[in-house]
Amino acid sequence: MRALFHRTAAARRTAFIDIGKFFLVAGIALWLLTVGTPGLGYHWQWYRVPRFLFTIQEGVWTAGPLLQGLLVTLEISALSLLCTLVLGLTTALFRLSASFTARALARSYLELIRNTPLLIQIFFVYFVLSPVLDIGAFASAVLALSLFEGAYAAEILRAGIVSLQRGQWEAAHSLGLNLFDAYRYVILPQAVRRVLPPLTGQAISLVKDSALVSTIAIYDLTMQGQTIVAETFLAFEIWFTVAAIYLILTFGLSLAVRAMERKMSGAPLRMLGGPA
Amino acid sequence: MTADERIIETTELTKTFPGGIVALDRFSLTVRRGEVVVVIGPSGSGKSTFLRCLNGLEEIDSGSIVIDGIPLDHHRKNRLLIRQEVGMVFQSFNLFPHMSVRENIDLAQVRVRKKTPAQAAEATMELLKKVGIAEKADRYPHELSGGQQQRVAIARALAMTPKVMLFDEATSALDPEMIGEVLEVMRALATEGMTMIVVTHEMGFAREAGDRIVFMETGRIVEEAETERFFGSPHMERTKAFLSQIL
Ligand SMILES: Nc1ncnc2c1ncn2[C@@H]1O[C@H](COP(=O)(O)OP(=O)(O)OP(=O)(O)O)[C@@H](O)[C@H]1O
Ligand SMILES: [Mg+2]
Repeated sequence: MRALFHRTAAARRTAFIDIGKFFLVAGIALWLLTVGTPGLGYHWQWYRVPRFLFTIQEGVWTAGPLLQGLLVTLEISALSLLCTLVLGLTTALFRLSASFTARALARSYLELIRNTPLLIQIFFVYFVLSPVLDIGAFASAVLALSLFEGAYAAEILRAGIVSLQRGQWEAAHSLGLNLFDAYRYVILPQAVRRVLPPLTGQAISLVKDSALVSTIAIYDLTMQGQTIVAETFLAFEIWFTVAAIYLILTFGLSLAVRAMERKMSGAPLRMLGGPA
Repeated sequence: MTADERIIETTELTKTFPGGIVALDRFSLTVRRGEVVVVIGPSGSGKSTFLRCLNGLEEIDSGSIVIDGIPLDHHRKNRLLIRQEVGMVFQSFNLFPHMSVRENIDLAQVRVRKKTPAQAAEATMELLKKVGIAEKADRYPHELSGGQQQRVAIARALAMTPKVMLFDEATSALDPEMIGEVLEVMRALATEGMTMIVVTHEMGFAREAGDRIVFMETGRIVEEAETERFFGSPHMERTKAFLSQIL
Protein backbone atom coordinates (compact mmCIF):
# COMPACT_ATOMS: atom_id res chain seq x y z
CA MET A 1 0.00 0.00 0.00
CA ARG A 2 2.77 2.36 1.03
CA ALA A 3 4.87 1.52 -2.00
CA LEU A 4 1.85 2.10 -4.21
CA PHE A 5 1.25 5.49 -2.61
CA HIS A 6 4.84 6.51 -3.11
CA ARG A 7 4.75 5.46 -6.70
CA THR A 8 1.61 7.47 -7.53
CA ALA A 9 2.99 10.49 -5.68
CA ALA A 10 6.20 10.24 -7.68
CA ALA A 11 4.23 9.83 -10.90
CA ARG A 12 2.23 12.93 -10.06
CA ARG A 13 5.40 14.88 -9.36
CA THR A 14 6.95 13.97 -12.74
CA ALA A 15 3.66 14.84 -14.44
CA PHE A 16 3.78 18.29 -12.85
CA ILE A 17 7.36 18.77 -13.95
CA ASP A 18 6.44 17.68 -17.49
CA ILE A 19 3.53 20.08 -17.70
CA GLY A 20 5.76 22.84 -16.31
CA LYS A 21 8.35 22.17 -18.97
CA PHE A 22 5.71 22.23 -21.67
CA PHE A 23 4.42 25.67 -20.64
CA LEU A 24 7.95 26.97 -20.37
CA VAL A 25 8.81 25.92 -23.93
CA ALA A 26 5.46 27.08 -25.31
CA GLY A 27 5.91 30.40 -23.50
CA ILE A 28 9.36 30.92 -24.98
CA ALA A 29 8.06 30.13 -28.47
CA LEU A 30 5.21 32.62 -28.07
CA TRP A 31 7.58 35.27 -26.69
CA LEU A 32 9.99 34.78 -29.60
CA LEU A 33 7.10 35.23 -32.00
CA THR A 34 5.88 38.44 -30.36
CA VAL A 35 9.32 40.00 -30.12
CA GLY A 36 10.22 38.70 -33.58
CA THR A 37 7.34 40.02 -35.62
CA PRO A 38 7.87 43.75 -34.83
CA GLY A 39 11.38 43.16 -36.19
CA LEU A 40 9.72 42.10 -39.43
CA GLY A 41 7.71 45.24 -39.36
CA TYR A 42 4.54 43.21 -39.28
CA HIS A 43 1.32 44.91 -38.21
CA TRP A 44 -1.06 42.53 -36.60
CA GLN A 45 -4.55 43.27 -37.80
CA TRP A 46 -6.62 40.60 -36.09
CA TYR A 47 -9.67 42.89 -36.20
CA ARG A 48 -9.91 42.32 -39.95
CA VAL A 49 -10.16 38.54 -39.61
CA PRO A 50 -13.71 37.91 -38.26
CA ARG A 51 -15.48 39.07 -41.39
CA PHE A 52 -13.73 36.33 -43.35
CA LEU A 53 -15.28 33.87 -40.96
CA PHE A 54 -18.79 35.26 -40.89
CA THR A 55 -20.74 38.48 -41.09
CA ILE A 56 -23.92 39.57 -39.38
CA GLN A 57 -26.00 42.15 -41.16
CA GLU A 58 -29.34 43.22 -39.75
CA GLY A 59 -29.41 40.10 -37.66
CA VAL A 60 -28.78 37.84 -40.68
CA TRP A 61 -25.85 35.51 -40.23
CA THR A 62 -23.76 34.87 -43.35
CA ALA A 63 -20.81 32.50 -43.56
CA GLY A 64 -17.61 34.12 -44.81
CA PRO A 65 -15.19 32.50 -47.23
CA LEU A 66 -13.28 30.66 -44.50
CA LEU A 67 -16.39 28.94 -43.15
CA GLN A 68 -17.53 28.17 -46.67
CA GLY A 69 -14.14 26.63 -47.27
CA LEU A 70 -14.46 24.69 -44.03
CA LEU A 71 -17.75 23.29 -45.27
CA VAL A 72 -16.09 22.08 -48.48
CA THR A 73 -13.23 20.56 -46.48
CA LEU A 74 -15.77 18.81 -44.26
CA GLU A 75 -17.69 17.46 -47.24
CA ILE A 76 -14.59 16.18 -48.95
CA SER A 77 -13.19 14.69 -45.76
CA ALA A 78 -16.41 12.96 -44.75
CA LEU A 79 -17.01 11.45 -48.18
CA SER A 80 -13.38 10.43 -48.56
CA LEU A 81 -13.36 8.89 -45.09
CA LEU A 82 -16.32 6.73 -45.99
CA CYS A 83 -14.71 5.63 -49.27
CA THR A 84 -11.38 5.13 -47.50
CA LEU A 85 -12.92 2.71 -45.03
CA VAL A 86 -14.74 0.75 -47.73
CA LEU A 87 -11.67 0.63 -49.94
CA GLY A 88 -9.35 -0.14 -47.04
CA LEU A 89 -11.53 -2.98 -45.81
CA THR A 90 -11.93 -4.45 -49.29
CA THR A 91 -8.20 -4.29 -49.90
CA ALA A 92 -7.39 -5.83 -46.52
CA LEU A 93 -9.79 -8.72 -47.21
CA PHE A 94 -8.34 -9.13 -50.70
CA ARG A 95 -4.84 -9.36 -49.27
CA LEU A 96 -5.97 -12.06 -46.86
CA SER A 97 -8.05 -13.87 -49.45
CA ALA A 98 -7.29 -17.35 -50.73
CA SER A 99 -7.53 -16.12 -54.31
CA PHE A 100 -4.24 -15.30 -56.02
CA THR A 101 -5.89 -12.70 -58.25
CA ALA A 102 -7.38 -10.86 -55.31
CA ARG A 103 -4.09 -10.85 -53.44
CA ALA A 104 -2.12 -9.67 -56.47
CA LEU A 105 -4.61 -6.92 -57.16
CA ALA A 106 -4.42 -5.68 -53.60
CA ARG A 107 -0.62 -5.80 -53.58
CA SER A 108 -0.31 -3.84 -56.83
CA TYR A 109 -2.69 -1.18 -55.60
CA LEU A 110 -0.84 -0.82 -52.30
CA GLU A 111 2.60 -0.59 -53.88
CA LEU A 112 1.44 1.88 -56.49
CA ILE A 113 -0.21 4.20 -54.00
CA ARG A 114 2.37 4.04 -51.26
CA ASN A 115 5.30 4.69 -53.53
CA THR A 116 4.06 7.82 -55.27
CA PRO A 117 3.38 11.27 -53.78
CA LEU A 118 -0.20 12.21 -52.99
CA LEU A 119 0.11 15.46 -54.94
CA ILE A 120 1.00 13.53 -58.09
CA GLN A 121 -1.92 11.19 -57.50
CA ILE A 122 -4.27 14.14 -57.20
CA PHE A 123 -2.93 15.63 -60.44
CA PHE A 124 -3.15 12.28 -62.15
CA VAL A 125 -6.76 11.75 -61.15
CA TYR A 126 -7.73 15.32 -61.99
CA PHE A 127 -5.90 15.81 -65.27
CA VAL A 128 -5.83 12.26 -66.64
CA LEU A 129 -8.64 10.25 -65.11
CA SER A 130 -11.33 12.86 -64.69
CA PRO A 131 -11.71 13.64 -68.43
CA VAL A 132 -11.83 9.90 -69.11
CA LEU A 133 -14.34 9.17 -66.36
CA ASP A 134 -16.11 12.46 -66.99
CA ILE A 135 -16.06 13.55 -63.34
CA GLY A 136 -15.58 17.01 -61.88
CA ALA A 137 -12.94 18.44 -59.57
CA PHE A 138 -14.83 17.55 -56.41
CA ALA A 139 -15.26 13.90 -57.35
CA SER A 140 -11.62 13.79 -58.45
CA ALA A 141 -10.55 15.09 -55.07
CA VAL A 142 -12.61 12.51 -53.20
CA LEU A 143 -11.37 9.73 -55.48
CA ALA A 144 -7.70 10.68 -55.13
CA LEU A 145 -7.88 11.10 -51.37
CA SER A 146 -9.76 7.83 -50.88
CA LEU A 147 -7.33 5.91 -53.06
CA PHE A 148 -4.41 7.31 -51.10
CA GLU A 149 -5.70 6.95 -47.55
CA GLY A 150 -7.42 3.65 -48.40
CA ALA A 151 -4.04 2.03 -48.97
CA TYR A 152 -2.90 2.93 -45.46
CA ALA A 153 -6.23 2.04 -43.88
CA ALA A 154 -5.99 -1.35 -45.60
CA GLU A 155 -2.67 -2.13 -43.96
CA ILE A 156 -3.94 -1.00 -40.56
CA LEU A 157 -7.05 -3.17 -40.86
CA ARG A 158 -5.05 -6.14 -42.09
CA ALA A 159 -2.72 -5.84 -39.12
CA GLY A 160 -5.74 -5.82 -36.82
CA ILE A 161 -7.23 -8.90 -38.47
CA VAL A 162 -4.05 -10.98 -38.34
CA SER A 163 -3.40 -9.95 -34.74
CA LEU A 164 -6.39 -12.01 -33.59
CA GLN A 165 -5.72 -15.47 -32.24
CA ARG A 166 -6.20 -18.34 -34.64
CA GLY A 167 -8.65 -19.80 -32.14
CA GLN A 168 -11.20 -17.12 -32.99
CA TRP A 169 -11.27 -18.25 -36.61
CA GLU A 170 -11.39 -21.88 -35.60
CA ALA A 171 -14.28 -21.32 -33.21
CA ALA A 172 -16.17 -19.41 -35.90
CA HIS A 173 -15.51 -22.11 -38.51
CA SER A 174 -16.35 -24.95 -36.18
CA LEU A 175 -19.77 -23.39 -35.55
CA GLY A 176 -20.44 -23.53 -39.28
CA LEU A 177 -20.32 -19.78 -39.86
CA ASN A 178 -19.45 -18.94 -43.45
CA LEU A 179 -16.59 -16.61 -44.27
CA PHE A 180 -18.79 -13.53 -44.47
CA ASP A 181 -20.44 -14.14 -41.10
CA ALA A 182 -17.12 -15.04 -39.48
CA TYR A 183 -15.68 -11.72 -40.59
CA ARG A 184 -18.77 -9.72 -39.80
CA TYR A 185 -19.61 -11.03 -36.35
CA VAL A 186 -16.40 -12.47 -34.97
CA ILE A 187 -13.28 -11.13 -36.63
CA LEU A 188 -13.95 -7.55 -37.71
CA PRO A 189 -15.61 -6.28 -34.53
CA GLN A 190 -12.52 -7.33 -32.59
CA ALA A 191 -9.99 -6.28 -35.21
CA VAL A 192 -11.50 -2.82 -35.72
CA ARG A 193 -11.62 -2.21 -32.00
CA ARG A 194 -7.94 -3.08 -31.75
CA VAL A 195 -6.82 -0.73 -34.52
CA LEU A 196 -9.11 2.16 -33.69
CA PRO A 197 -6.21 4.38 -32.51
CA PRO A 198 -4.11 4.07 -35.71
CA LEU A 199 -7.28 4.22 -37.79
CA THR A 200 -8.16 7.51 -36.12
CA GLY A 201 -4.66 8.73 -36.91
CA GLN A 202 -5.31 7.90 -40.54
CA ALA A 203 -8.60 9.80 -40.49
CA ILE A 204 -6.76 12.80 -39.09
CA SER A 205 -4.16 12.51 -41.83
CA LEU A 206 -6.98 12.49 -44.33
CA VAL A 207 -8.37 15.78 -43.03
CA LYS A 208 -4.93 17.36 -43.18
CA ASP A 209 -4.08 15.87 -46.58
CA SER A 210 -7.33 17.24 -47.96
CA ALA A 211 -5.58 20.65 -47.99
CA LEU A 212 -3.77 19.45 -51.11
CA VAL A 213 -6.98 19.46 -53.13
CA SER A 214 -6.68 23.25 -53.17
CA THR A 215 -4.24 22.64 -56.02
CA ILE A 216 -7.00 21.50 -58.34
CA ALA A 217 -9.17 24.59 -57.95
CA ILE A 218 -11.37 23.38 -55.15
CA TYR A 219 -12.34 26.12 -52.78
CA ASP A 220 -11.68 24.27 -49.57
CA LEU A 221 -10.43 25.86 -46.38
CA THR A 222 -6.84 26.10 -47.59
CA MET A 223 -7.76 27.53 -50.99
CA GLN A 224 -9.98 30.16 -49.36
CA GLY A 225 -7.13 31.08 -47.03
CA GLN A 226 -4.77 31.43 -49.97
CA THR A 227 -7.22 33.66 -51.84
CA ILE A 228 -7.79 35.93 -48.85
CA VAL A 229 -4.06 36.25 -48.20
CA ALA A 230 -3.47 37.15 -51.85
CA GLU A 231 -6.06 39.90 -51.64
CA THR A 232 -5.37 41.29 -48.17
CA PHE A 233 -1.78 40.34 -47.25
CA LEU A 234 -3.01 39.23 -43.84
CA ALA A 235 -0.68 36.23 -44.09
CA PHE A 236 -0.03 35.63 -40.39
CA GLU A 237 -3.55 36.18 -39.16
CA ILE A 238 -5.25 34.11 -41.85
CA TRP A 239 -2.82 31.19 -41.73
CA PHE A 240 -3.02 31.11 -37.93
CA THR A 241 -6.80 31.06 -38.19
CA VAL A 242 -6.81 28.37 -40.85
CA ALA A 243 -4.41 26.25 -38.82
CA ALA A 244 -6.59 26.69 -35.74
CA ILE A 245 -9.65 25.54 -37.66
CA TYR A 246 -7.85 22.39 -38.85
CA LEU A 247 -6.72 21.79 -35.29
CA ILE A 248 -10.25 22.05 -33.95
CA LEU A 249 -11.44 19.69 -36.67
CA THR A 250 -8.84 16.99 -36.04
CA PHE A 251 -9.01 17.33 -32.28
CA GLY A 252 -12.79 17.04 -32.43
CA LEU A 253 -12.40 13.93 -34.55
CA SER A 254 -10.13 12.19 -32.07
CA LEU A 255 -12.41 13.19 -29.18
CA ALA A 256 -15.38 11.72 -31.02
CA VAL A 257 -13.53 8.45 -31.66
CA ARG A 258 -12.43 8.25 -28.06
CA ALA A 259 -16.01 8.70 -26.89
CA MET A 260 -17.12 6.00 -29.32
CA GLU A 261 -14.36 3.70 -28.09
CA ARG A 262 -15.46 4.12 -24.50
CA LYS A 263 -19.02 3.38 -25.42
CA MET A 264 -18.02 0.32 -27.41
CA SER A 265 -15.84 -1.22 -24.74
CA GLY A 266 -18.53 -0.81 -22.12
CA ALA A 267 -21.65 -1.91 -23.85
CA PRO A 268 -22.45 -5.27 -25.38
CA LEU A 269 -22.72 -5.50 -29.12
CA ARG A 270 -26.34 -5.56 -30.07
CA MET A 271 -25.75 -6.96 -33.46
CA LEU A 272 -28.18 -9.82 -33.65
CA GLY A 273 -31.18 -7.62 -33.09
CA GLY A 274 -34.16 -8.68 -31.03
CA PRO A 275 -33.88 -9.54 -27.38
CA ALA A 276 -30.48 -11.21 -27.82
CA MET B 1 -21.82 -52.39 -37.65
CA THR B 2 -24.35 -51.54 -40.34
CA ALA B 3 -23.77 -48.58 -42.61
CA ASP B 4 -26.51 -46.69 -40.82
CA GLU B 5 -24.85 -47.14 -37.44
CA ARG B 6 -21.57 -45.67 -38.58
CA ILE B 7 -21.63 -41.92 -38.10
CA ILE B 8 -17.94 -41.20 -38.60
CA GLU B 9 -15.85 -43.11 -41.09
CA THR B 10 -12.28 -42.15 -41.70
CA THR B 11 -10.02 -44.24 -43.88
CA GLU B 12 -6.29 -44.00 -44.41
CA LEU B 13 -5.95 -40.37 -43.36
CA THR B 14 -2.55 -38.88 -43.90
CA LYS B 15 -1.44 -35.42 -42.98
CA THR B 16 2.09 -34.11 -43.33
CA PHE B 17 2.96 -30.65 -42.12
CA PRO B 18 5.49 -28.43 -43.86
CA GLY B 19 8.86 -29.53 -42.58
CA GLY B 20 7.98 -33.16 -43.13
CA ILE B 21 6.27 -33.80 -39.80
CA VAL B 22 3.86 -36.69 -40.27
CA ALA B 23 0.93 -35.93 -37.99
CA LEU B 24 -1.41 -38.62 -39.37
CA ASP B 25 -0.13 -41.78 -40.99
CA ARG B 26 -2.81 -43.91 -42.68
CA PHE B 27 -5.11 -43.37 -39.76
CA SER B 28 -8.48 -45.14 -39.95
CA LEU B 29 -11.24 -45.03 -37.38
CA THR B 30 -14.97 -45.70 -37.49
CA VAL B 31 -17.32 -44.41 -34.83
CA ARG B 32 -20.80 -45.70 -34.07
CA ARG B 33 -23.78 -43.47 -33.39
CA GLY B 34 -23.89 -42.68 -29.68
CA GLU B 35 -20.43 -44.03 -29.05
CA VAL B 36 -17.92 -42.24 -26.82
CA VAL B 37 -14.40 -42.74 -28.14
CA VAL B 38 -11.51 -41.53 -26.00
CA VAL B 39 -8.26 -40.82 -27.82
CA ILE B 40 -5.07 -40.88 -25.81
CA GLY B 41 -1.41 -40.71 -26.71
CA PRO B 42 1.79 -38.84 -26.03
CA SER B 43 2.27 -35.20 -26.97
CA GLY B 44 2.69 -34.70 -30.70
CA SER B 45 1.08 -38.02 -31.60
CA GLY B 46 -1.51 -36.35 -33.83
CA LYS B 47 -4.59 -36.35 -31.60
CA SER B 48 -5.46 -32.71 -32.20
CA THR B 49 -4.67 -33.01 -35.87
CA PHE B 50 -7.12 -35.88 -36.17
CA LEU B 51 -9.94 -33.90 -34.54
CA ARG B 52 -9.14 -30.81 -36.58
CA CYS B 53 -9.25 -32.80 -39.81
CA LEU B 54 -12.67 -34.16 -38.89
CA ASN B 55 -14.29 -30.74 -39.24
CA GLY B 56 -12.07 -29.37 -41.93
CA LEU B 57 -9.97 -27.03 -39.80
CA GLU B 58 -7.01 -28.92 -41.21
CA GLU B 59 -6.95 -30.36 -44.70
CA ILE B 60 -5.94 -33.98 -45.15
CA ASP B 61 -3.37 -34.94 -47.78
CA SER B 62 -5.07 -38.21 -48.61
CA GLY B 63 -7.70 -40.57 -47.28
CA SER B 64 -11.39 -40.00 -46.84
CA ILE B 65 -13.69 -38.65 -44.18
CA VAL B 66 -17.43 -39.27 -44.24
CA ILE B 67 -19.60 -37.91 -41.47
CA ASP B 68 -23.26 -38.91 -41.29
CA GLY B 69 -23.14 -39.75 -44.98
CA ILE B 70 -21.58 -36.44 -46.04
CA PRO B 71 -18.12 -36.70 -47.55
CA LEU B 72 -15.67 -34.02 -46.45
CA ASP B 73 -14.22 -33.14 -49.84
CA HIS B 74 -13.26 -30.05 -51.73
CA HIS B 75 -16.82 -28.78 -51.88
CA ARG B 76 -17.15 -25.83 -49.62
CA LYS B 77 -20.82 -26.65 -49.16
CA ASN B 78 -20.08 -30.09 -47.73
CA ARG B 79 -17.49 -28.65 -45.40
CA LEU B 80 -20.00 -26.14 -44.06
CA LEU B 81 -22.63 -28.89 -43.71
CA ILE B 82 -20.21 -31.07 -41.78
CA ARG B 83 -19.19 -28.24 -39.52
CA GLN B 84 -22.84 -27.69 -38.70
CA GLU B 85 -23.15 -31.31 -37.61
CA VAL B 86 -19.87 -31.46 -35.71
CA GLY B 87 -19.39 -29.42 -32.55
CA MET B 88 -15.91 -28.74 -31.27
CA VAL B 89 -14.61 -27.76 -27.86
CA PHE B 90 -11.07 -26.41 -27.65
CA GLN B 91 -8.47 -26.51 -24.93
CA SER B 92 -8.36 -22.70 -24.91
CA PHE B 93 -12.17 -22.19 -24.93
CA ASN B 94 -12.03 -19.67 -27.81
CA LEU B 95 -15.11 -17.79 -26.71
CA PHE B 96 -15.80 -14.56 -28.57
CA PRO B 97 -14.56 -11.96 -26.08
CA HIS B 98 -16.60 -9.08 -27.49
CA MET B 99 -19.90 -10.89 -26.98
CA SER B 100 -21.79 -11.74 -23.83
CA VAL B 101 -22.32 -15.38 -22.93
CA ARG B 102 -25.81 -15.19 -24.40
CA GLU B 103 -24.57 -13.66 -27.67
CA ASN B 104 -21.82 -16.25 -27.97
CA ILE B 105 -24.44 -18.99 -27.88
CA ASP B 106 -27.06 -17.17 -29.96
CA LEU B 107 -24.81 -16.30 -32.87
CA ALA B 108 -24.66 -19.56 -34.82
CA GLN B 109 -28.26 -20.42 -34.03
CA VAL B 110 -29.39 -17.22 -35.72
CA ARG B 111 -26.82 -17.01 -38.50
CA VAL B 112 -26.42 -20.68 -39.38
CA ARG B 113 -29.55 -22.42 -38.14
CA LYS B 114 -31.66 -19.41 -39.15
CA LYS B 115 -33.63 -19.34 -35.92
CA THR B 116 -35.43 -16.18 -34.89
CA PRO B 117 -33.74 -14.31 -32.03
CA ALA B 118 -36.57 -15.35 -29.73
CA GLN B 119 -36.19 -19.04 -30.57
CA ALA B 120 -32.44 -18.78 -30.11
CA ALA B 121 -32.79 -17.00 -26.78
CA GLU B 122 -35.03 -19.76 -25.48
CA ALA B 123 -32.64 -22.52 -26.55
CA THR B 124 -29.71 -20.57 -25.12
CA MET B 125 -31.31 -20.34 -21.70
CA GLU B 126 -32.07 -24.07 -21.75
CA LEU B 127 -28.45 -24.84 -22.57
CA LEU B 128 -27.11 -22.49 -19.95
CA LYS B 129 -29.29 -24.22 -17.37
CA LYS B 130 -28.03 -27.54 -18.57
CA VAL B 131 -24.39 -26.55 -18.07
CA GLY B 132 -25.29 -24.86 -14.80
CA ILE B 133 -24.55 -21.20 -15.44
CA ALA B 134 -27.89 -19.64 -16.34
CA GLU B 135 -27.14 -16.73 -14.02
CA LYS B 136 -24.12 -15.72 -16.12
CA ALA B 137 -26.07 -15.15 -19.35
CA ASP B 138 -25.28 -11.46 -19.56
CA ARG B 139 -21.68 -11.67 -18.43
CA TYR B 140 -18.69 -11.39 -20.70
CA PRO B 141 -16.18 -14.24 -21.09
CA HIS B 142 -13.44 -12.39 -19.20
CA GLU B 143 -15.74 -12.12 -16.20
CA LEU B 144 -16.00 -15.90 -15.89
CA SER B 145 -13.72 -18.54 -14.40
CA GLY B 146 -12.01 -20.99 -16.72
CA GLY B 147 -14.43 -23.75 -15.84
CA GLN B 148 -17.40 -21.49 -16.51
CA GLN B 149 -15.92 -20.35 -19.83
CA GLN B 150 -15.44 -23.92 -20.95
CA ARG B 151 -19.02 -24.74 -20.02
CA VAL B 152 -20.19 -21.80 -22.13
CA ALA B 153 -18.05 -23.11 -24.98
CA ILE B 154 -19.74 -26.50 -24.67
CA ALA B 155 -23.17 -24.86 -24.63
CA ARG B 156 -22.20 -22.82 -27.70
CA ALA B 157 -21.27 -25.98 -29.60
CA LEU B 158 -24.41 -27.77 -28.43
CA ALA B 159 -26.57 -24.87 -29.61
CA MET B 160 -26.01 -26.10 -33.15
CA THR B 161 -27.61 -29.41 -32.10
CA PRO B 162 -24.64 -31.28 -33.55
CA LYS B 163 -24.66 -35.02 -34.20
CA VAL B 164 -21.06 -35.35 -33.04
CA MET B 165 -19.04 -33.51 -30.40
CA LEU B 166 -15.25 -33.31 -30.47
CA PHE B 167 -13.34 -32.40 -27.30
CA ASP B 168 -9.68 -31.50 -27.64
CA GLU B 169 -8.20 -31.57 -24.14
CA ALA B 170 -11.15 -29.59 -22.87
CA THR B 171 -9.89 -29.62 -19.29
CA SER B 172 -6.14 -29.24 -19.81
CA ALA B 173 -6.11 -25.47 -19.41
CA LEU B 174 -8.18 -25.53 -16.23
CA ASP B 175 -7.19 -25.22 -12.61
CA PRO B 176 -7.62 -28.58 -10.86
CA GLU B 177 -10.67 -27.48 -8.88
CA MET B 178 -12.55 -26.63 -12.09
CA ILE B 179 -11.86 -29.80 -14.02
CA GLY B 180 -14.65 -31.67 -12.24
CA GLU B 181 -17.45 -29.32 -13.26
CA VAL B 182 -16.52 -29.57 -16.94
CA LEU B 183 -16.10 -33.34 -16.87
CA GLU B 184 -19.50 -33.58 -15.23
CA VAL B 185 -21.11 -31.79 -18.16
CA MET B 186 -19.28 -34.08 -20.58
CA ARG B 187 -20.34 -37.15 -18.66
CA ALA B 188 -23.97 -36.04 -18.76
CA LEU B 189 -23.70 -35.60 -22.52
CA ALA B 190 -22.29 -39.09 -22.90
CA THR B 191 -25.13 -40.52 -20.85
CA GLU B 192 -27.66 -38.78 -23.09
CA GLY B 193 -26.26 -40.69 -26.03
CA MET B 194 -24.23 -37.98 -27.76
CA THR B 195 -21.58 -39.29 -30.13
CA MET B 196 -18.29 -38.00 -28.80
CA ILE B 197 -14.61 -38.17 -29.60
CA VAL B 198 -12.68 -37.02 -26.58
CA VAL B 199 -8.97 -36.32 -26.45
CA THR B 200 -8.02 -36.20 -22.79
CA HIS B 201 -5.47 -37.05 -20.15
CA GLU B 202 -8.21 -37.68 -17.60
CA MET B 203 -8.07 -41.45 -17.29
CA GLY B 204 -10.85 -41.45 -14.71
CA PHE B 205 -13.18 -39.93 -17.27
CA ALA B 206 -11.94 -42.31 -19.97
CA ARG B 207 -12.73 -45.37 -17.83
CA GLU B 208 -16.11 -44.12 -16.74
CA ALA B 209 -17.55 -42.49 -19.82
CA GLY B 210 -15.54 -44.03 -22.66
CA ASP B 211 -16.99 -46.90 -24.67
CA ARG B 212 -13.75 -47.40 -26.54
CA ILE B 213 -10.18 -46.19 -26.12
CA VAL B 214 -7.85 -45.41 -29.00
CA PHE B 215 -4.17 -45.13 -28.20
CA MET B 216 -2.17 -43.40 -30.90
CA GLU B 217 1.45 -42.51 -31.49
CA THR B 218 3.24 -40.84 -34.41
CA GLY B 219 0.00 -40.53 -36.33
CA ARG B 220 -1.00 -44.19 -36.12
CA ILE B 221 -3.26 -46.27 -33.94
CA VAL B 222 -1.14 -48.41 -31.66
CA GLU B 223 -4.07 -50.11 -29.99
CA GLU B 224 -7.81 -49.69 -29.76
CA ALA B 225 -10.24 -51.63 -27.65
CA GLU B 226 -13.36 -51.54 -25.51
CA THR B 227 -12.61 -49.53 -22.39
CA GLU B 228 -12.55 -52.45 -19.97
CA ARG B 229 -10.36 -54.60 -22.17
CA PHE B 230 -8.06 -51.69 -22.93
CA PHE B 231 -7.31 -50.88 -19.31
CA GLY B 232 -7.71 -54.44 -18.04
CA SER B 233 -5.49 -56.29 -20.46
CA PRO B 234 -3.69 -54.15 -22.99
CA HIS B 235 -2.08 -56.23 -25.73
CA MET B 236 0.74 -54.03 -26.88
CA GLU B 237 3.89 -53.43 -24.88
CA ARG B 238 3.83 -49.78 -25.92
CA THR B 239 0.35 -49.39 -24.47
CA LYS B 240 1.39 -50.95 -21.19
CA ALA B 241 4.39 -48.64 -20.98
CA PHE B 242 2.26 -45.57 -21.71
CA LEU B 243 -0.42 -46.57 -19.21
CA SER B 244 2.12 -47.20 -16.48
CA GLN B 245 3.45 -43.72 -17.11
CA ILE B 246 0.18 -41.87 -16.77
CA LEU B 247 -1.79 -43.98 -14.29
N1 LIG C 1 0.21 -26.12 -37.91
C1 LIG C 1 1.24 -26.98 -37.79
N2 LIG C 1 2.38 -26.79 -38.48
C2 LIG C 1 3.41 -27.66 -38.38
N3 LIG C 1 3.41 -28.73 -37.59
C3 LIG C 1 2.30 -28.98 -36.86
C4 LIG C 1 1.17 -28.11 -36.92
N4 LIG C 1 0.22 -28.61 -36.09
C5 LIG C 1 0.75 -29.73 -35.55
N5 LIG C 1 1.99 -29.95 -36.01
C6 LIG C 1 2.85 -31.11 -35.66
O1 LIG C 1 2.13 -32.29 -35.93
C7 LIG C 1 2.37 -33.24 -34.92
C8 LIG C 1 1.05 -33.66 -34.31
O2 LIG C 1 0.51 -32.56 -33.61
P1 LIG C 1 -0.84 -32.61 -32.78
O3 LIG C 1 -1.10 -31.26 -32.28
O4 LIG C 1 -1.89 -33.29 -33.57
O5 LIG C 1 -0.42 -33.57 -31.56
P2 LIG C 1 -1.23 -33.89 -30.23
O6 LIG C 1 -1.30 -35.35 -30.14
O7 LIG C 1 -2.50 -33.15 -30.19
O8 LIG C 1 -0.24 -33.37 -29.12
P3 LIG C 1 -0.58 -32.66 -27.71
O9 LIG C 1 -0.90 -33.77 -26.76
O10 LIG C 1 0.69 -31.98 -27.35
O11 LIG C 1 -1.70 -31.72 -27.93
C9 LIG C 1 3.32 -32.60 -33.94
O12 LIG C 1 4.61 -33.05 -34.23
C10 LIG C 1 3.19 -31.14 -34.20
O13 LIG C 1 4.40 -30.49 -33.94
MG1 LIG D 1 -3.27 -31.56 -29.01
